[in-house]
Amino acid sequence: MSITTPSSRAIGLTRANWRLMLRNRLTLAYGLILPLLPMLFLFSGTRGDDTIAMTSSTTVIFLLMLFPVYYNLLSMFVSRRDELVLKRLRTGEARDSELITSMAMPGVLITLVITLAAVMLGFPLGQQVPTNPILLLAVVLLGAGVFTALALWTAAWTRTAEAAQITSMPVILLASVGPMAPIFPESARRFVELTPGSAMDTLVRLSWFGYDDGSQLDFAATWGASSGPMLVLAAWVLIGWALARTYMHWEPRH
Amino acid sequence: MNTTTDSNQPAIEARGLRRSYGTGAAGFEAVRGVDLIVPRGTITALLGTNGAGKTSTMEVIEGLAPATAGEVRMLGMDPIKQRADVRRRTGVLLQASGFPGDLTVRETLEMWGATVSAARPVDEALEVLDLTHRAEVKMRSLSGGETRRVDLACTLTGDPDVVLLDEPTTGLDPESRREVWRLVEGLRERGATVLITTHYLDEAEALADRVEIMHGGRIVRSGTTAEIVSDHPSSIRFAHLAADSVLPDLSATSISRTGAHTVVETDDLQATLHELLGWAHQHCVRLDDLSADTASLEKVFLAIADGSADATTHDSTHQSTQLEGNNR
Repeated sequence: MSITTPSSRAIGLTRANWRLMLRNRLTLAYGLILPLLPMLFLFSGTRGDDTIAMTSSTTVIFLLMLFPVYYNLLSMFVSRRDELVLKRLRTGEARDSELITSMAMPGVLITLVITLAAVMLGFPLGQQVPTNPILLLAVVLLGAGVFTALALWTAAWTRTAEAAQITSMPVILLASVGPMAPIFPESARRFVELTPGSAMDTLVRLSWFGYDDGSQLDFAATWGASSGPMLVLAAWVLIGWALARTYMHWEPRH
Repeated sequence: MNTTTDSNQPAIEARGLRRSYGTGAAGFEAVRGVDLIVPRGTITALLGTNGAGKTSTMEVIEGLAPATAGEVRMLGMDPIKQRADVRRRTGVLLQASGFPGDLTVRETLEMWGATVSAARPVDEALEVLDLTHRAEVKMRSLSGGETRRVDLACTLTGDPDVVLLDEPTTGLDPESRREVWRLVEGLRERGATVLITTHYLDEAEALADRVEIMHGGRIVRSGTTAEIVSDHPSSIRFAHLAADSVLPDLSATSISRTGAHTVVETDDLQATLHELLGWAHQHCVRLDDLSADTASLEKVFLAIADGSADATTHDSTHQSTQLEGNNR
């Protein structure tokens, strides 16, 4: 008898979810086109201007976290829970972790592909190649972990896919407040820097451009400078998964 | 209870099963101490009105929800703690469930097959449920009956040892119902154990080796259909005799007058009918609209549902059924 394994089950389910994503034009537009739009910033201003390049790159990553990873998973989870698809799948051999992985994977794969595309498209437009690509990859994956967990947590109080447009606001705020940190007073900025959006913003600047609060770092130096915001992101992974584990439910509540 | 998969054990065993929803004043206990044994290789029907606790019981047995109290063993294993081993040998059909509407029937079976050990080839699964001609149709375009058949195909694709079917034929047309019945009978023939809930009493009578009737969160009747029915009286009905007519002293359970008819209930239909007809012949009395009905599962069920039958736990097997079943 051929026995399934966690990876074979997750791959089989991911294949189906990928297929479903490709058939949903709106999700595809949000996942593939919208995150690349900030690359148009590179056509403005002076070619090779790091400020514009950093704004473009951090916005690309921000949109990737919000749409293919967070919002796609949130709406997918809520609608499938509502339609009892998740309940049905849980009667089979697949474990909960495999179901979650398979639903998150298409968004994460798109995120990796678009990040690579942004690097490749940006280079001919004067944007530098990442200073520390390994760190950039780690940041994207860790960020995907945070926003996957936050999507599952948000799903706990989201009754319908339509309601997700409202219930996602707190997480969107948590993600978008980071890039706005400089406009906050010093006392508030310390707290803003503890948000996942702020940590992501800092880490993308650091790993892609070697930029650390005005200084230019090389590959080796970026590792040391990344420890603080990486700890913030790691903490958010733990917080997010703890919240998701405590509050998420697999069947609709009536 | 033992935790091994001894082939002499029942396929499903529940002891003192309870399941509650909510807490405090808003709390509700849907399952109130269910004891259930499903022998291997048999079909057991779990009957009950809406809200009797059938689906809540099934969900605990399926391992989808924890019991508030009591124990469940599936093939000797705990369905939650030994989930992987139990699921590998179990097929579940929920009362209500869904599939992604944008996948075709074939893609849905491929997706499901990827998560099932020893899944049968998709083409074979399609053929078994007569879905081959609908293989490339999206799930959202299927009728309710066709969707149910895809659901069943998923349930049976891994050739499970134990099959849990929660109202499998609800919403199906008569022909599809018969097709499902044939499938369920086929499962028994290959030695699988089936626990089925249904609203259709004819379905239970046609398929089940044993019947469990639930009421108010408890199992109140248990046994074969014949055993359950044997506890319920047969009835003889006829139009009222003249007001001054006196009936003979029949060996009946009770005699009552309802509307325009007299109803005689008896545990021995043949003897009572013989007495009544003999008396009528002797006294030249004509019994208009005469009819005699043996007890049926439907009568027992309705009597329990409307509260006219004793709804305390009652096992009709008289210890005659050894719970060994047909071990596989």
